[in-house]
Amino acid sequence: MEKYFDIEYIWSSLPQLLPFLKVTFLVVGLSVLIGSLFGLVLAFAKMSNSKLLRVLANAYTTVMRCTPSIVLLFLVYYGVPAFAEGLFGLDLQDIHTGVYVVLTFTLQFAAMMSEVARSAIQSINKGQYEAAVSVGLTPFQAYRRIIFPQAFVVALPNFGNGLISILQEGALAYTIGFVDVVGKANLIIANNYNTHQLEIYIALAIIYWVLAIVIEKIFELLEKAFSKGSRSLKVS
Amino acid sequence: MDTSLINVPFLIDTFFVALSGVPVALLVTVVSLLIAVPIGFFLALTRINQIPVINTIAKIYVSFVRGTPIIIQIFVLYSFIPLMLNGIFKKYNIEYSVYDINPLWYAFIIFAFNTAAVLVEVFRSALSTVDKGQLEAAQSVGLTNAQAYRRIIIPQALVTALPNLCTATVNLIKATSLGYAISLYEITLKAKVAANVGYNYVEAYIDIFIVYLILCIVVEQLFKWWEKRLSRYKYANA
Repeated sequence: MEKYFDIEYIWSSLPQLLPFLKVTFLVVGLSVLIGSLFGLVLAFAKMSNSKLLRVLANAYTTVMRCTPSIVLLFLVYYGVPAFAEGLFGLDLQDIHTGVYVVLTFTLQFAAMMSEVARSAIQSINKGQYEAAVSVGLTPFQAYRRIIFPQAFVVALPNFGNGLISILQEGALAYTIGFVDVVGKANLIIANNYNTHQLEIYIALAIIYWVLAIVIEKIFELLEKAFSKGSRSLKVS
Repeated sequence: MDTSLINVPFLIDTFFVALSGVPVALLVTVVSLLIAVPIGFFLALTRINQIPVINTIAKIYVSFVRGTPIIIQIFVLYSFIPLMLNGIFKKYNIEYSVYDINPLWYAFIIFAFNTAAVLVEVFRSALSTVDKGQLEAAQSVGLTNAQAYRRIIIPQALVTALPNLCTATVNLIKATSLGYAISLYEITLKAKVAANVGYNYVEAYIDIFIVYLILCIVVEQLFKWWEKRLSRYKYANA
């Protein structure tokens, strides 16, 4: 077995892989940013008085929860250009694959965030909002100054989990020919004539593992920092 | 792309092709769960009781599985297992080519490996919701530890574990869509192969999407029904 497995390959591939983390981060960052905004809109739709909006938003979340990322990715990758051409006569051939990747994971992250935001906002006592409005704040001000800062702290751990899972789902972007860390790893393997795959994949696993641990720790610290004034039971 | 947007006859035909992959996807899901549940439960117990070495190993294992994407776990295990088996076969002069192994076996191992780690956390949090007094009371009336767990602790913990168990199952079904990486002919790969002929990828993926949607909604309803049944005891005296 010794001659098939050479630990040297793990260390030598790391410096080749790490620069491509930038691409991964860019995709994840954009998806998280746009997805959070969209997710917030969905969360409000779920809490709105209109039954239609509630049903639509809940149906969207259910559908997203039930669709494997890889299926959604290909559906977007093949479906969006086909529909754009068929319905509007738009030619999307030259669009960078990164756009489809971001679009897919934005859709997915929005579904996750809508649940996180909804439960966080609903966890804040309704009296807080009423008190804010009763002292003369507009509903928008009440949300911005009173509800959001509190809901934000509640949402933090789940937001962190969502971030980690979107980072992991993002590993599938290579399937549509997008070159991020995983794509680069596959290129390295192809250059090695498909030998030493195991070592390269282990290097990849180490990168993701370390990233997940770091993100987890950052969110633990953030949670601690933000819940300083909190008087609830979950003291840190 | 044809002149028409969607090739409807192909859409309908391929739907049944995708549907024919459901048994394989379900088989992998069920077998993986059957392997993963006992392992997950055992490791959860060692985590709760802080059993020295195993506790640490379980912690690292769970952290690894939760910290890495499933596709990477598939990549690593799918290249590691044949290498290891090859070594073992050579050592003991077993005449068997590792490349003849049915991908189903890999699927069972890989997805059980992944799901067991998820279940450790599910069971751990569920078991910790049961009051310690329940175990002590059971022991004080003369039940053995195993009896106390089987009759008193597990029935209560299971109710709290069910929603998470449902999520884990749905995630597992979704994860089987990555079976293409080990050339496992399940829903996604079957429909994709059908689409290769005429580049009807949009239709194929719409079909795959619908099949997973149906599968997932059915599983969620089953779990809801099960949860209702299991939590009957809560309302018995109400």
